[in-house]
Amino acid sequence: MKKLIVRLCIYGLLMLLSLELLVRAFHLTKDYPVRIVDAQEVEKWQPHQTGYSVTGNRRQNFSEFHINSAGFNSSRDYKPSKTHFEIALVGDSFIEGFHQPYYNSIGKKIEAHFNNIPVYEYGYAGYDFADEVHLVDAYKDTFEAIDCVILNLTFKDDLERDTYSVLTDRMRFETPFYRRLRQFKLLNYAKNIGALNPIKALPGKLINTVKGRFKSDKQAPQKAVSSVDSLAIYQKRLDNFIALTTTYNYNKAKNILLLDASKTPDVFLNYLHTHNYKYIDYSQLLAQSKTKTNLVYDMHWNDHGRTLVAKAIADYLKTHGIVKTP
Amino acid sequence: MIFNSVEFFIFLVISYLLYWKVFQKHLKAQNLFLLIISYIFYGWWDYRFLSLIFLSTVVDYFVGQQIYAQTQQHKRKQWLWVSVVFNIGLLGFFKYFNFFVDSWVDMAALMGYHIKSTWTLRIILPVGISFYTFQTMSYAFDIYYKQLKPTKNFIAFAAFVSFFPQLVAGPIERASNLLSQITHARKFNYNQTVEGLKLILWGLFKKIVIADALAPIVDDIFANANTYPATTLILGVTLFSFQIYGDFSGYSDIAIGTAKLFGVELMTNFKFPYLSRNIAEFWQRWHISLSEWFRYYIYIPLGGSKQGRFKALRNVAIVFLISGFWHGANWTFIAWGAFHALAFIPLFVVGNNKKYKDTIVAENRVLPTFSELLKMLFVFALVTFSWIFFRADTITHAMAYIGGIFTRTDITAYAHPMGYRMIDYYVLIILFVVYEFIIRQYPRHPFPFKHKAVRFAIYTLLLFLMLLFYDDGIDKSFIYFQF
Repeated sequence: MKKLIVRLCIYGLLMLLSLELLVRAFHLTKDYPVRIVDAQEVEKWQPHQTGYSVTGNRRQNFSEFHINSAGFNSSRDYKPSKTHFEIALVGDSFIEGFHQPYYNSIGKKIEAHFNNIPVYEYGYAGYDFADEVHLVDAYKDTFEAIDCVILNLTFKDDLERDTYSVLTDRMRFETPFYRRLRQFKLLNYAKNIGALNPIKALPGKLINTVKGRFKSDKQAPQKAVSSVDSLAIYQKRLDNFIALTTTYNYNKAKNILLLDASKTPDVFLNYLHTHNYKYIDYSQLLAQSKTKTNLVYDMHWNDHGRTLVAKAIADYLKTHGIVKTP
Repeated sequence: MIFNSVEFFIFLVISYLLYWKVFQKHLKAQNLFLLIISYIFYGWWDYRFLSLIFLSTVVDYFVGQQIYAQTQQHKRKQWLWVSVVFNIGLLGFFKYFNFFVDSWVDMAALMGYHIKSTWTLRIILPVGISFYTFQTMSYAFDIYYKQLKPTKNFIAFAAFVSFFPQLVAGPIERASNLLSQITHARKFNYNQTVEGLKLILWGLFKKIVIADALAPIVDDIFANANTYPATTLILGVTLFSFQIYGDFSGYSDIAIGTAKLFGVELMTNFKFPYLSRNIAEFWQRWHISLSEWFRYYIYIPLGGSKQGRFKALRNVAIVFLISGFWHGANWTFIAWGAFHALAFIPLFVVGNNKKYKDTIVAENRVLPTFSELLKMLFVFALVTFSWIFFRADTITHAMAYIGGIFTRTDITAYAHPMGYRMIDYYVLIILFVVYEFIIRQYPRHPFPFKHKAVRFAIYTLLLFLMLLFYDDGIDKSFIYFQF
């Protein structure tokens, strides 16, 4: 028995080592750039990092990222000037675009519609509207030089708070322990493909088995969300929007919201109309597309989806005379 | 608790250590422990199922004693019937009751009588009932045929009936093989343990990489069969051939491997069936324990081939039809059994049914001959075609699927429902078939290579493939649990 246990341990270790090497050799898991919170309390990536973002077991999506000097994924460094027309694109992972090569980003696609107009991408996964308006306010000097600011907004997810504060959830992964853990590529890979989920779910499963096994098979019916509840939620989000735009002196002349009107309630769209907030709606272009507009593995826009959203933005800027085209 | 779960891994490690460290010294303690862990394993699904297996154990234990004690043949037979009626009754009620009621209502409707079916019951099919009822019946049969003496040790008998590695999906052991091992003390054997671990690894590979990875594709094609062209329909059923083989033979390998860890040798259940040269050889290599069961306890008692050509053919047909029906309460399984009977009978008539018995394709050669290759492809095509009935939900579904193969002849490339590269799966299947061909002489030794480094490389590769094809989102249960 002793011989068996010793050999199993040796074989196990050697196998783990071999698998670690294989995962590294085939670059099967993503690289994790380092996060920081800067002096202005903006959460972003530490500048000047490069690596690859990987999705799926077999590298089904593989793209290079490049964190620029400003701490955002982009092919260019941001040098706004008052003499040149510039666009800023602020948003979450859809704008950050780790699921696409940084040199084929949505900003690049917008730039392709114009002549020599740089697009600065301030995308960061997890940003909500509070993060976005705080960022614009925190980097006031920079944004004053930028001529048009487009802020991505998903009504359902981005208006859950009325004031900005640094979220500690993501930053807790920046402790030395987690950074060291991320060096084990095999562990990251197993986690990303869901191979560790059964282990994570085990305690809950065991508790349920012990608690629930001997009870009735019938489950309690889920509480339906009534229309009254929905209206209350919408109102709360609208209140948050009002609070944030007021606190951070939202510039209606320069700022434009980017949203999917098909997923935004009328009550909010009406508010935007009534109060002269500009917005770009890309929903129709996506809906009319005959080919898929999002990735297979998650709901982020694929290359075609990004092309369409970039077109929606460019069309809006042209038709509303924001960018003068020759 | 399924073999490919974390719960089972923890359960196995704890049970294994206690079995050899604490309960090794006394046979009674070893068997009692085996019984307890088997009941925990089975009760994990639903504790209510335990009453059934306990009842089945008590009845057959008692019946076995009675058959043995009787001196008059007709009384022995009466007691045997008690076991058969009880076990088939159990199976009939839990597995076939609703089927018979529905079939009766459908038949009445065909004859113009419209009966509103209110007799069907909400019955949960106890996992593995088809397997352990057959196993306990084998005990009564073996005593009846004087091939076995009944055991007086109830704990040992209960451990035999509920032996957890093969309880829910076989191999269906004959009492003469398994019970005799349980009534004798097991000693820790390093080599046996290592062999067991290797089989578990191979079984997990077949389940996770072959069966589970193909499942979403097969499910998609069968669910949308009416929209896909013939090429996709052929692809769907071909992949199902590999899915069901990987699933069931994978389970059997894990079961045999796990039993080895506990010092028990179970019979081989699969011997590379897709390398068969005729359909009879296929049945000597596919689900061997069930085929043997039907041969010993149905075919031979019916007279086998000893009572004339006509009766022999009838017996073959009965065995195939019952075999089909054993798989599930659905006409599709009966059609599947009938199809195999029709494919087998011509070989039986010309006396070719034992032509390849105990031989393997390309024996002592590296490659098969062209003729062997053609024969294997033909058998594979035949078996694959039959899987349409096995996999389809209804006969109408199966016929529509077959109709699609012969009518929708446009060729379009199939796209994976989750957008994965299909080429990965094609390469995987080819490599799997090539590897199975290489190891074709060693059904119980999936890594028969001399050099440690080669074996180690293969173990690592298998684990790597398990990661590459792991899918957290799919149903991981084994197909044969539903039978």
